[in-house]
Amino acid sequence: MQHKLIQSVGVAWTVLYAFFVIWIYATEPRTFKEVATGAQVVAGTYEVDREKFEEGLRLFRAEQFRAARDEWARADPERRDARTQFYMAYAFYREGWGRVYNDDALFKQGLEAANRAISLSEQERLRVDDPDLQIHTPAELKAELEQGLERTVDDLNPLKVFRQRK
Amino acid sequence: MNNASRNRALVRFVLLPLLLMTVALLGGLRVSSDDHAFIFIAPPLITLILSVLLMLLFVRGHMVELRAWVGSDYPLLVNVSHTLTLLSLFFASAQAFNSVLPETGLLFWLFSLFFLWTLWNNQFSNFDARHTLRSLTVLFGTAFALKHMLLASLNAPEGSWLRRLTGVVVEGVSLGTIAPQRFAPATGYISFFTLALYVTGLMLLSPQPESPADEEARQVLRVYRKLAPGEQRLVRAAIVAESDEDSDVRRALPGGTGVDDSGEEETIVAGKPER
Repeated sequence: MQHKLIQSVGVAWTVLYAFFVIWIYATEPRTFKEVATGAQVVAGTYEVDREKFEEGLRLFRAEQFRAARDEWARADPERRDARTQFYMAYAFYREGWGRVYNDDALFKQGLEAANRAISLSEQERLRVDDPDLQIHTPAELKAELEQGLERTVDDLNPLKVFRQRK
Repeated sequence: MNNASRNRALVRFVLLPLLLMTVALLGGLRVSSDDHAFIFIAPPLITLILSVLLMLLFVRGHMVELRAWVGSDYPLLVNVSHTLTLLSLFFASAQAFNSVLPETGLLFWLFSLFFLWTLWNNQFSNFDARHTLRSLTVLFGTAFALKHMLLASLNAPEGSWLRRLTGVVVEGVSLGTIAPQRFAPATGYISFFTLALYVTGLMLLSPQPESPADEEARQVLRVYRKLAPGEQRLVRAAIVAESDEDSDVRRALPGGTGVDDSGEEETIVAGKPER
C-alpha cells in the first residue's frame, strides 16, 4: 500500500514539476518576482497594487499620461486587470489625440491595451463609471481609437479642429 | 515494507524524477551580465538529436534495460511512473547538452559536431554501465570547462590573461563568425550545479528497477544471513534439492525450455563461498 502511495506521489509530483518547467520556458520570467507574480496568476490570487493604481490615476487626471502608464505598468505587471488596461488605453488615447492629427503610434498602443481590456473582461462586462471620462467601456474606447487610426476624406475637413477630446 | 525498501522506492519514484526535472529546468538558464535577469533558452533541435543518441547509448551500455523498465507485466502505475522517469531522463539529457553548448555562432556548431561525433562513435563501442557513466562525465566535464571557463574567460568584458594571450597568439587572425557571449559568472555556477545533478541522477539510475520479487529475495537473503553456518548449509541444500526437482519436472515436459535458466540459478547459489 505504502509502495503504491509513493508511486502515486512520484507520478503526481513529476507531472506537476514538468508543467512548471514548461510554464517557465513559455513565460520566460526575468526575475524571481516575475516568477512569483506569474504563479499568482496561475493560482488565481493575482491582484493589482491598489496604491500604485491610485497614484497612476492621480497622474492621469493631472494629464501626466506617461507617468500614469508607468505607475499602472507597475501596478499590473502581468497585464491581467481589465480596469487597469482600460485606463492604460485611455492614457494612450488622450496623449495621442490631436486637434489637427492623432499620433498613430500611441493610438496603436492604445488599441492593443483596449483589446487586452476587452479580452480580460469577456466573462464580466467592464464599465468604468469615472465622471472624469467620457468613454466608459473598452469597446467604445476601441472604436474611438480605430476611428482615429483610419484615413478618410473627413481628415481634410477644416472644421475638425473644433472637435473635442473625450 | 521495511525502511530500505521504502527508501529505494522514494529514490526511484520521487528523488530521481525530481533530480532529472531540475536538470531540465536549469539546463537552459543563463543570467544576463547586464541586469542579472534570467534568460531561459529552450533546447535547440540539435540537443534533442544528441539526447536521442545518448538514450540509445544508455540502452546499448546497459544503463537502462528498457524491458525491465516498461513492460506489460507491470501494473499501470509502475509503467506510467517509469515512462515519466525515462522521459525526464531524455529532457534532462537534452538540457545538459544545452547547458554546455555555446548559444550561437560557429562555436555552437563546432561543439555540436564534437558531441555528435563522440556519441556516434560510442554507439559502436563496447560499453558497460560504469564505462558509459565515466565517459559521459568526462564528455560533459570537458564541454563545461571549454564553455564556462575557456570561452567565458576569452569573452570577459574586462579582459583576462587568457584573452591577452590569445590576442598575442592569434594576432591578425579573424575569429570570423565566433559571436561573443557574455553572461554573468552565476551562469557557470548554475551549469556546474546542473551537470552535478545530472551525473548524480545517472548514478541513481538502476539498469533494472527493483520488482516485488527482488524485494522478497532480499528479505530471504537477510534472514539467511542471520542463520548459523550449519543452518545456512541446510537451507542451501534444500534450495539445491528443490531446484533439481524443478529441473527434472521441466525436463520431463515436452519441449521444456527452462533447463538452462534453472541451471544458471543453481550455479549461482552453489557458487557462494562457504563461511
